[in-house]
Amino acid sequence: MFEAQEINAEHKDLIHDVAYDYYGERMATCSSDQYVKVWDQNSEGKWILTSSWKAHSGSVWKVTWAHPEFGQVLATCSFDRTAAVWEELVGETPCPAERGNRHWVRRTNLVDSRTSVTDVKFGPKTQGLQLATCSADGVIRIYEAPDVMNLSQWTLQHEVQCKLSCSCLSWNPSLSKNHPLMLAVGSDDTNPANGGKVFIYEYSDNIRRWMKTETINSITDPVHDISFSPNLGRSFHLLAVATKDVRIISLTPIPDNASLQSGLSKLEIQTSAQFDDHGCTVWRVCWNITGTILASSGDDGCVRMFKMNYINSWKPVAVLKGDGSHISSETQRSSISSAAGLPTPPVSQTARYIKLGTIAQSREVPWH
Amino acid sequence: MTQNVHGTFISEKTNKIRWRPDPFGYSNSFITGSWDNDQNNIKLWNFEENEDDPDIYPFVIKNYPFEGDVTEAKFANPDYFVASSSLGSLYCLKVSSEITGETIITEERSWNKLHRSKNGDASSCTSFGMYESDIVTVGEDGNINLLTAQRKDIVRTIDEADSCSLNCVIFLKFNEILTGNLRGQMKIWDLRSNENKPTTTFMLSGDQIAATSLTFHPTQRHMIVAGDEEGSLTVWDLRQNIFPVNLLSAHSDSVSEIHFHPDHPDQLFSCSSSGELWHWITNRSGTLLNIENVETNPWFSTDSIKNKFEVFMLMPKLHKPINSLDLNRNRVLCSCDNEAIYLINNVNVYN
Amino acid sequence: MEPSLKTFTIPDELCRRAGIAATWLPINELGVFAYQHVKAHSPDQPSAYGPADASVFKVRQQVILFEPILRKLVNEANGTFLSVQELMSTNSPEFKTELLKLSRQYRSIIRACLENLQDEVMRERGERKEELQNYITIFYSVECVWHLCEILFVDNIPGNVVLPHLLEWVRFHFPKYERKAAKLLAGDLVGLESQPDYWETVIGLLMQGRIEVVRALLRLHSAADSKPFKLVDQTLKAMPIYSIYSGISATEFNLKWKHWLVDTQSKIDAKLFISERHLHLMMRLSVGEETAWNEVQNHCEAWYELLAAWLFYTEPTIKSFELGQYARRCISRMGIALHMRHLDQVLLAAMESDIIQVIKEIQHMSENGWFASHLTDLLYHSGRLDFLDTSEADDLVASRLRECFLLDYGTLLMGHNSLWQVGLSYLDHCPTDGINTIELLITRLPLGSEARAQKIIREAQKRDLPHIVQSICKILGMNSLKRGRIGNALTWALKSRDSGFASVLADKFLREYSTNGKLQCTDLLDNLGSSMLVSDRLVFLGKYFELHKVYQGKNYKEAANLIVSLLASKLTPKYFWSTLLSDALPLLECNELVMSSNDTFTLLHCLEEKCNLPEIQDKIELIRLAAARNLARALTHEAQLN
Repeated sequence: MFEAQEINAEHKDLIHDVAYDYYGERMATCSSDQYVKVWDQNSEGKWILTSSWKAHSGSVWKVTWAHPEFGQVLATCSFDRTAAVWEELVGETPCPAERGNRHWVRRTNLVDSRTSVTDVKFGPKTQGLQLATCSADGVIRIYEAPDVMNLSQWTLQHEVQCKLSCSCLSWNPSLSKNHPLMLAVGSDDTNPANGGKVFIYEYSDNIRRWMKTETINSITDPVHDISFSPNLGRSFHLLAVATKDVRIISLTPIPDNASLQSGLSKLEIQTSAQFDDHGCTVWRVCWNITGTILASSGDDGCVRMFKMNYINSWKPVAVLKGDGSHISSETQRSSISSAAGLPTPPVSQTARYIKLGTIAQSREVPWH
Repeated sequence: MTQNVHGTFISEKTNKIRWRPDPFGYSNSFITGSWDNDQNNIKLWNFEENEDDPDIYPFVIKNYPFEGDVTEAKFANPDYFVASSSLGSLYCLKVSSEITGETIITEERSWNKLHRSKNGDASSCTSFGMYESDIVTVGEDGNINLLTAQRKDIVRTIDEADSCSLNCVIFLKFNEILTGNLRGQMKIWDLRSNENKPTTTFMLSGDQIAATSLTFHPTQRHMIVAGDEEGSLTVWDLRQNIFPVNLLSAHSDSVSEIHFHPDHPDQLFSCSSSGELWHWITNRSGTLLNIENVETNPWFSTDSIKNKFEVFMLMPKLHKPINSLDLNRNRVLCSCDNEAIYLINNVNVYN
Repeated sequence: MEPSLKTFTIPDELCRRAGIAATWLPINELGVFAYQHVKAHSPDQPSAYGPADASVFKVRQQVILFEPILRKLVNEANGTFLSVQELMSTNSPEFKTELLKLSRQYRSIIRACLENLQDEVMRERGERKEELQNYITIFYSVECVWHLCEILFVDNIPGNVVLPHLLEWVRFHFPKYERKAAKLLAGDLVGLESQPDYWETVIGLLMQGRIEVVRALLRLHSAADSKPFKLVDQTLKAMPIYSIYSGISATEFNLKWKHWLVDTQSKIDAKLFISERHLHLMMRLSVGEETAWNEVQNHCEAWYELLAAWLFYTEPTIKSFELGQYARRCISRMGIALHMRHLDQVLLAAMESDIIQVIKEIQHMSENGWFASHLTDLLYHSGRLDFLDTSEADDLVASRLRECFLLDYGTLLMGHNSLWQVGLSYLDHCPTDGINTIELLITRLPLGSEARAQKIIREAQKRDLPHIVQSICKILGMNSLKRGRIGNALTWALKSRDSGFASVLADKFLREYSTNGKLQCTDLLDNLGSSMLVSDRLVFLGKYFELHKVYQGKNYKEAANLIVSLLASKLTPKYFWSTLLSDALPLLECNELVMSSNDTFTLLHCLEEKCNLPEIQDKIELIRLAAARNLARALTHEAQLN
């Protein structure tokens, strides 16, 4: 029993990434057409395009929002070997080429990478405004804005060389005095002889450097996406990995003398769950807000959701798949005017939700 | 007489509930203004009182869709009411009957986005006060607007009247208003003055506690009672000075509304975010009843308050905030964030 | 064997061709879009699918509870739920009776809702009517199952003699015979049997154990004085009916009843009723004759109707835990074992005391967990889930099961822009993960107007989450700042005692002043009070404002004092020295002597400390000169005083 609202994203090609702001009221999309678009939900529930701009000179791979405590801030990374940080200016006079009076400016361009930047993520807000990027040549860079009120100043704080090409990274959102700042990085290197493809890095306050503390050797296939689960007060960390299947890895800090001295944790790594439901490569994994449901998408064209039940075992609970049937007349597509080179008229977006149909002969699995 | 409480669940949270005044004094109709809904509404209700059935069922006679949360609503007379919205607008609405007998609500006048921030975004119109046909509004943009129901244009805007969001406003006299802001700073404005500066400024308390509701005594408008966000009631006599005469630590959480009973000014009603609905009665003993005699007005007395008031809970404490209350004769209406409205009958207002 | 999952389709051609990916958004919604993975090393070119119109689909669970007509259930049930939790926290010895009352309260809420739905469905047409009828079906089943669960699991039936309650349950859900009887008795009483449904009603009532009404109807038969009728009346009058309060034990009752059975059977065998076939049937039914029951089972709409009826005449002292086997027999009797509706399965599971199965099944009732959460909670508190817990002390399976449902339901409600307060109250009662879930979710509530934000802040304060309060105040402050309302931003910083943010804002004030000489928000600065202590920079700002006021009030002596204390205080930001010194200059050159020699020394001392600051280079000479002159003046003056 799902329903959906369609928002015509007006990108002329496939979307590479969609990111929602902290409240789910704003949406940023990026695409091969090198544009980033920002959408706002109005009081009636319709999504209005409030900004659209050419962000890079190559395909934009990822877009991500900073925590609202820093204002309205986005970061993007691209095939053009740069990552950029954008801030929204709330001006009094609207820009003539844009709709509304919302205007995003580039605060900084991070040009240190020599290859395509594959992922960009903001760090946990308690550490100030930090940004991590990873590149196809295996370099992970950590940037920081020392003055959070002035986003044009960013310093490259750390550069870490990972021996394999990196495709994705994830910050561990849970922080406490008990465990240090942690990053997980995944590599899509195809050679199994090169060993484990997921690396855990931790920041040691003592030596003020990022150190690789673990390699997850059980995963030797290329990794395409990686995500730490939001922490529900657990004593261990959960990491979801998109590789040839969906993996959920648990990392439990083990107290030991060496780690107490260095300030880094020794982690016990276990595979909590492994799902081959997609039956083929899994491209993306994403946790919900409370870290209770994992959504994965794979080459089988499906999005699959997994949930933990009351006896602590993970079970698949629902599947989404595209099919060819169209929604009738409610949405309009502006293909004609775009071909003629005219500015496309604003596409009317409805706030209506339509019920999603199901594929026959399947029985619903209870959530618990 | 025992009070009876009738609750009705209405599937929306009501921010303001108001009796519709009746020319003969006894209303059986009221409006509710909702908040926090996908689509907010103002509903006009009637209720049937059955002699055999002690239960009273209110029912909706008209639903009026409203944009934004209803932040304040007041009746000017039995057929007109004014409502303000969290999207910054103010509306004058009229209740009338069609030839068919159907009741309708129509917009007589509206001021769109009366309160807005510098970038054009809507800013909530948090409250308004009325004096005859004059209306004064305040909002989160820190502006004060003076309007009159008879004209479409704004009579006057006091820009940047306050550097903080304004929460509440009342008319003290036809030319004087009192405003309260987010940090408990109260300002008195003389509307005849051309300057955009208040005549007097004072703080509600030392600790930046905001005033959440303001009311004045029905017969002595210089006597102001304010409820604050910690649940206390503060009383001033503005003729004397701007230091409070009394501070009553009352509710356990923010006071949502306070009303003096229009016909029995020795009685006060208050409701709070902690789900409490209270009835305050001054102890009667001879001359205390003589309100004209200021020295013996119990509200002004600096002596121990305990001997001066009795406080009654009109209904058991609810587990969600009570946002609004209104009085008519011996009945009290209140609305709660549990999406229910309550009518309390036979309240002991008569001696 | 794992059953296959339900697959939901996104109606989009591009999604079908390219595949899809999804991103979560608060609270539990997904943004789904057509996706084709591109590896880092692939060439940067338009995809094979372009140009195409890409859409994002915002997918969410369809929640029928949010419909206005069903929404009352949410709040009313919340009230009852909180009463249950309060009751259990008081450790009252009478909690079982109270729980039963609360269970009945839940059911009356559902019934009120059903009545509403019935009223509405009369008024509607078409698709809406279908929808409403669907809701009626759902909630009718919910109430039916709840009632049975209440009888079997919540109610403390003395001796476990469940039949009277079972009969009441059946009578409530199959009221047609009582209604017909009422109609018959209200109408023309002469020759009642000529009414078409007379015998159907009598037999139906007999099956519901309504002996008295049956007798009353039979007495109104025109042949009521004939022998068979009189005999039936006597027999029925003499029929023993078991009740725990009758004072006799089960064994005694059984003895009496067996006597009656034998007696009645002999009358049947003697063909005493044979002249009236209906009476004959009724008597055969009353002794539990199989063939008779086979004849009437089509009178029953449901197997549980049959069950209650049959048990009344064959196993009147039946205990609740014995129901299961008889239930199965009824089901197979009616031949529906292969055609069981969902409701049938749940009721069967309940009669077999398979609580886990009941809970599993009710999750399919498509009312989004309302039923499962409230019922599981009730069963948990009634002690009915204790069997789940193993002997290990910390393996609290029952508690986890209950919590799982409450977490889901609470989270679902948190996702509704109006019902979030209700959601919080459910999460409050999840002992393990509740507070953590609240922490993760409460920050995701969009803030809206300040009034709403304050309500959210209040909820965070109530639950002792100061870091969240501070975060929300910070965001509100940033929002105010972006809208050009710096005074309001400062207010939020002060409310949450956020010294970092307050300092940043104070800086903004000071920089603004040092650039264009305007002090903003004077009404705020005038009344900072003790709140300025939250940040050093703010203290400086407050004092500087005071200086300004005093200066404008021409109270130069006081101004001099203030300026010296400011200079000496080490609170002055570097960029402000120039301004402060510029302010000091006129005081030094004032006609009236306002700065004492001590003060001037202090000033000179500070000047020396800061003489390397680039910002003051242009003024430093001037100030030194003026200070020197003032020092001379002051010393002279003070010497004269001595």
